Amino acid sequence: MYVQLVVTGLALGSMYGLVALGYHITWATSRTMNFSQGHAVMAGAVVAYTVFVALGWPFPLALVITLAALACYGTFVERIAVRPFFLRASPAWLLATIAVGIIAENVAQLTFGKDARAFPSPLMHKPIIVGSAGFYPQELLVPVIGLTLMGLVQLFYHRTSYGKQLKAVAWNPEAAGLMGINIPRAVMTSYALSAILAGVAGVLLAPLLNVAPQMGTIIGLKAFAVAIIGGLTSAPGIVIAGLGYGLVEAFTAGYISTRAREIVGFALVILVLVVRPWGLLGEKPSRRV
Amino acid sequence: MRSVSVIFSIVLAVALGAPGPARAQSKEPVKIGLSAAVSGGSAASGEAIKRGLQIAIDEINARGGVLGGRRLELAVRDDEGNPQKGVTIARELVEREKVAAVFGGLHTTVALAQVPVWQELKTPYMGAWAAGTNITRNGQTPNYVFRVSANDDYVDRFLSRYAIEVLKKGKPGLLLENTPWGQSNETGLTKWFGERGIKAVGVERFNWNDPDMSPQLLRLKNAGADHIVLVANAPEGAQVLRSKAKLGWNTAMISHWGISGGRFAELTGDLSEGVTFLQTYTFFGRQNERGQYVLKMLREKYGVKEPGDIIAPVGTANAYDGLHLVALAIEQAGSTDGTKVRGTLETLKGEHKGLIKTYKRPFTPEQHDALTDEDYVMVVWKGGKIVPVNMK
Repeated sequence: MYVQLVVTGLALGSMYGLVALGYHITWATSRTMNFSQGHAVMAGAVVAYTVFVALGWPFPLALVITLAALACYGTFVERIAVRPFFLRASPAWLLATIAVGIIAENVAQLTFGKDARAFPSPLMHKPIIVGSAGFYPQELLVPVIGLTLMGLVQLFYHRTSYGKQLKAVAWNPEAAGLMGINIPRAVMTSYALSAILAGVAGVLLAPLLNVAPQMGTIIGLKAFAVAIIGGLTSAPGIVIAGLGYGLVEAFTAGYISTRAREIVGFALVILVLVVRPWGLLGEKPSRRV
Repeated sequence: MRSVSVIFSIVLAVALGAPGPARAQSKEPVKIGLSAAVSGGSAASGEAIKRGLQIAIDEINARGGVLGGRRLELAVRDDEGNPQKGVTIARELVEREKVAAVFGGLHTTVALAQVPVWQELKTPYMGAWAAGTNITRNGQTPNYVFRVSANDDYVDRFLSRYAIEVLKKGKPGLLLENTPWGQSNETGLTKWFGERGIKAVGVERFNWNDPDMSPQLLRLKNAGADHIVLVANAPEGAQVLRSKAKLGWNTAMISHWGISGGRFAELTGDLSEGVTFLQTYTFFGRQNERGQYVLKMLREKYGVKEPGDIIAPVGTANAYDGLHLVALAIEQAGSTDGTKVRGTLETLKGEHKGLIKTYKRPFTPEQHDALTDEDYVMVVWKGGKIVPVNMK
């Protein structure tokens, strides 16, 4: 039994990790994030469904359109829900991004409909069964792409000059501004990147979760828990925490009960917040004097 | 001045005199209300009920209406599956629209919230979908709530009987959604399996939008379940089938009718093969006279080509029969007065040849469900089509 639970846990965990990277990208730049990252994932799946399934356009084109649309969505979220508050150092972006997410869900209900729809994928036709455990090839794709994106995000922030500039904004906005970094644009870029990542997650998860306006809510919430556990400032921490969280969920559901799953999962979040508030691999904030 | 008074008198004459004969002919219509979700995720159910009601109304109007020439008229309201909205709509339909009776939709929560309103305003209610046991068994006397649909308690008896007598299985694993609906079916299934000396080897639950059901299925499998009884709606039902395929577990699956709303076939593809579930009526297979008529109307009015195109068929079938029973009660009561119609529904005289069955005193003071497990049918997905199952 545990072999299947490991497989299930890793598959779930890589979904959480992938979505949670979206929180990291904006946090690394602006110490803010789109609390409705799950809704951005949903938006990605809905746009991809519309272009690829409803309109029947070729998949590569649908992917490009989806990612472009999501970049616009991210920019929009930053412009109306984050920037007005970020500049005033007010934490109201928290509520504002939740509001945008709720609006997005309702717009999707009105335009797309509330019914869950199937997103066809050749990787969902037949599960691969090895011994006593099985999985769909699509589930294998999630960690592969998740790890690749994590690597890219790491490279971007640590190896490229623009990435370093974005990080500088988070450390000291005033100094970064004085050094000639365009802060509003830096924040906007991070939001666009984060939304593009959500778009990738949406396309990747659509065949597994089906496309529906409410598909992102739970996964967004759990991804947030994962981001907290792993450390908002650390991409590898988030990916590791994602896998761990997925395993904890699968084993709790498998050996204790499905009802205990959320209790154990979110209790872990509280534990981490108490013991290690910066997360497993996050940067411990230096004390300001 | 004179021309003004001429015009005025002409207007007066037209207004008072002219409509005389027309007004005498058109008697006040009898209004029937519908409170159902006609938008959102369950929109298909509301639309299906509306179709059933409209077909029956047109049929009755074509032969002269009720009470010596009064036409039936439908007033539809969207409750969006929201209990608060349902209560507001219930009052509005009775107080403003002056409806003689109201039909209800898919949501048990809405139906339960509306019960006190029907009791207070003395208006008969006819459930056409929601299966919650205590909607009709609500402890009220006189009870204004009736139903031509499934009742969870009978459904659970039906499903357990199917498992034991037809499948010859004795180790049920229950897989239920983590909601009051799932809870009420756990109670019913435990009770009816228990009557036959059988205890479920496992009871597992899942939440809405859960992505993976393999842990729950694994637990049932390891507990030795030889069949699964599923209480789920289409999206979660689809995830269950996917996870089941992943485990390579080929075990019989019998389901409440929740999976038949939504787009189960689209979501599951080949995986739906062999899944059995319950319906109150199926338009597949041989049809009685009424069935042929309703199919013909669905074709002519709604462009339905074959039974497979009928969305949410149980809604249409239940509503069609329910409306005929209400019209019959109005006719026999000789009035649209709520108290009288309610009383007459409980003592309907004669036989009514309906779509689902022939009704012979369908309601009594103790029994407000016109259909019981004797009337349900079992169907199975076969090659993307729904086929009736022989219960013998």
